[in-house]
Amino acid sequence: MNKAKFMAFLGRLRHNKQMMIGCILLGFLILIAIFGPSFAPYNPKLLQDDTLASPNATYLLGTDNLGRDVFSMILYGVRTSLQIGFIAAMISAAIGIIVGGIAGFFGGIIDKILNEIMNIFMMLPTFFLILLVVALFGSNMTNVMIVIGVTSWVSNARLMRAQAISLKERTFVKSAITMGESKWSILIHHIIPNGIFPIIAQTTMNISGAILTEAGLSFLGLGDPNVFSLGQIINNGKMYMPRCWWISTFSGVVVVLIVLTFFLIGDGLNRVLSPKMDANK
Amino acid sequence: MHLLDLKNVNITYHTNDKKVRAVRNVSLSVDEQESVGIVGESGSGKSTLVMGILRLLPENIVETSGEALLEGKDIFKMSQQELHDCRWTTMSVIFQKSMNSLSPVHRIGKQMEDIYRVHYPNESSENIKKRIYELLKIVNLSDRVYMSYPHELSGGMMQRVAIALSLIFQPKLLIMDEATTALDVVTQSQILNEIMELEKKMKISRIMITHDVSVVASTCKRVVVMYAGELMEQGDVKDVLLHPKHPYTQGLLRSFPSFKGARENLKGIEGNLPDLSLPLEGCVFADRCPHATKHCLKEKPKEIETGNRWSVRCHLLEGGA
Amino acid sequence: MKKFLAKRLGSGSLAVLFSIIFNFVIIRLAPGDPATLLVGKDNPNPEMIAMIREQYGLDKSMFEQLGAYFNQLFHLDLGYSYANSRDVWDMIVERLGPTLMIALTGTLIAVLIGTFIGVYAARKKGTFIDQAICSISYLFDSTPSFWLGLMLILLFSSILGLFPTSGMYNLRGNYTGFAHIMDVIQHMFLPVLTLVLLNIPYYFRIARSSVLQVMSEDFIMTLRATGMSEKKIFNKYVLRNAIIPTITVFGINLAYMVTGVSMIEITFAWPGMGRLMLDSITKRDYPVISGIYLVLSISVAIGMIIVDIVYATIDPRIRIEE
Repeated sequence: MNKAKFMAFLGRLRHNKQMMIGCILLGFLILIAIFGPSFAPYNPKLLQDDTLASPNATYLLGTDNLGRDVFSMILYGVRTSLQIGFIAAMISAAIGIIVGGIAGFFGGIIDKILNEIMNIFMMLPTFFLILLVVALFGSNMTNVMIVIGVTSWVSNARLMRAQAISLKERTFVKSAITMGESKWSILIHHIIPNGIFPIIAQTTMNISGAILTEAGLSFLGLGDPNVFSLGQIINNGKMYMPRCWWISTFSGVVVVLIVLTFFLIGDGLNRVLSPKMDANK
Repeated sequence: MHLLDLKNVNITYHTNDKKVRAVRNVSLSVDEQESVGIVGESGSGKSTLVMGILRLLPENIVETSGEALLEGKDIFKMSQQELHDCRWTTMSVIFQKSMNSLSPVHRIGKQMEDIYRVHYPNESSENIKKRIYELLKIVNLSDRVYMSYPHELSGGMMQRVAIALSLIFQPKLLIMDEATTALDVVTQSQILNEIMELEKKMKISRIMITHDVSVVASTCKRVVVMYAGELMEQGDVKDVLLHPKHPYTQGLLRSFPSFKGARENLKGIEGNLPDLSLPLEGCVFADRCPHATKHCLKEKPKEIETGNRWSVRCHLLEGGA
Repeated sequence: MKKFLAKRLGSGSLAVLFSIIFNFVIIRLAPGDPATLLVGKDNPNPEMIAMIREQYGLDKSMFEQLGAYFNQLFHLDLGYSYANSRDVWDMIVERLGPTLMIALTGTLIAVLIGTFIGVYAARKKGTFIDQAICSISYLFDSTPSFWLGLMLILLFSSILGLFPTSGMYNLRGNYTGFAHIMDVIQHMFLPVLTLVLLNIPYYFRIARSSVLQVMSEDFIMTLRATGMSEKKIFNKYVLRNAIIPTITVFGINLAYMVTGVSMIEITFAWPGMGRLMLDSITKRDYPVISGIYLVLSISVAIGMIIVDIVYATIDPRIRIEE
């Protein structure tokens, strides 16, 4: 009996711990994003004579082929990753909420059409689509953020649609309809605010996805060449592997940590929102 | 000897460093060919009690004490083999959500066959099929159900399948856990009537768990009233439901429309169930009882026999009040 | 069932149609002259540009151009790569084999191992082992494929010296027969391992949560009450019910397989579709880029339709649902 109690306790602790670790990491990342550049021991663009120096007291994580300090580059790279992740996920959330909300709340033929569009988007090979667009329209940060956002909204739209369909039947929405409130006003004032929680969890997960996608693009050399990005650092370090392992290894660890952070928080939020899933997982 | 005899049954859940004493000191008995209804609101422990008797509660978080004698043998102390032998052959069960009572991806007939083979592994397929067709006929279902999947049938039909399944070995005791609650009124009364007929034919006893007093009134011989894990009053349906002695039973009956048709105001019982993870002093119902005195809050009432197998736990009755 | 299939088929065809039109439009929307784009920016040969303008009918109306485009696709003509002086279709077909080799092997191994671990963890729910496996799966989920590939190269090739770092076979080896096969397998090992490690968490989680979900269903309670042994309940009823989501996800993964392995191919310089895509992007070889995209979107759409058919046959509930 005591053992069972202990395990149940451990299980709860794990859930709490998951959110806790996520939040601590997030706080840390936000600090880096805001103050990182002032912590950086060197200007990451500064080319120094010590090229490909292994990690030492002067260069904490070593230098790259041009003598740039890897630690400083990573601090700037975190900022880029977070920026792209946040904005892309916000674009995706905005499109998802609007399309899903309209489809679910208005129903009928509008729903059918929007649902079909969602199905089509579900079937697109997203990563290659992003490659195609970036290759044709150039790889600056704005393009990258927009194209990631525009290709990842379907999961949000599906969630919002389901929320809108169930909220539509609730008394407070029905009474708003009876009182003659306009449909758009109901959608904006009742449906979206009340149905947004699952989208918040999903958007947190989408930040992870966007950061991974951006890192992938930069790794392929299709990121914005004017900013420091973790993917780029990995790609750059790849040519000096395995002898100068530190360039790619450390920047990759940081990518894993960032992605893990949002993944833990998003998953934690999902558990809080749907206790049933919690029981199953 | 009673068919089922419960003596001081306690069931406690250990979860999240809390102890929830869901069933406390319940004693009751079921004779052969007797039908007993257990009523109470949700959270009264009635489902936990039967799940405990069936030994279907997760054993790592549940502690049981007391005795549950099935034909004289204590279910709580049975070995896995003994338990296996009495399951479904002596005692079978029908659960609330009949739609989910069988696997959705296996054909109904195949599942019934599998269940038949649990106790008669060497029986020939033909004989089993014959038996299943016979059962389907008994519950007024066509043969085509054998090849169907659960989702292809309606709720009422699946309920009949569940009944057929529970009768497969002609058990002595049939437990129905809110088994007809989800059905519409017409189907419910049809099915209940069929069950009562089958019981007579096959000499089956029944325990029926429900929150619907009218179902008990029309289908059971005896009634057991539970509240917050304890037994409040038990006795013959015609005694208890017509002249309830326990204030809780009185309240429960008032919350249903009168059987005789005189329109009274429907009254619920004020208040909520007590927290069963905390130690309780005195009568569990005292907090909500209109007649509670200081004495009720301090001391637990004893079980008082007031007639033929009619007993009540209430201080009001002590000293012949 | 028929209605269901017709609906899915409709969605699939719409997705294909959308991809074709998208492909058609995007080249014409891109900054710069489409003819120049198609020849390649590094190849400003005015004669050739004039020829392409003629061939693609770029001076005709958009509508006629679209018609010509459909006609061309209908004959499996994806265009001509001026940068490589080769037919785009041939280039893609040539790369398909190596990609499928890695993708199929990796996905199959991952689904087997992942499902096995998931079922195991579900049975040990709440124990230390279960929680440890869950935590590791989060970690792998957060790892970019290309970086994991690099780390595996660092560990297995550079430190342990066990496997080659890149390519499909030893260019200097000139092996034939069995030796050649062994050589390819050796080269395959690391890319496949990367794919397997990244896909296991996926299948692990699905198997674990669906086993737990099925175990909590009412019918399991009924079966227990009949006295059926836990072993039989698990092997016959729980697994059969719990395997459905795994098969669905496996199918979807197969449909997206080529996209899924592209980053890994690039990391290991494996001569597949992903590698071809990247090379074409660096060379600005637009006919190839758009050809790959088109082939992929069509194969994904077809793959998804097949998944739906399979799904409908293994889950009887789907057949009558709308």
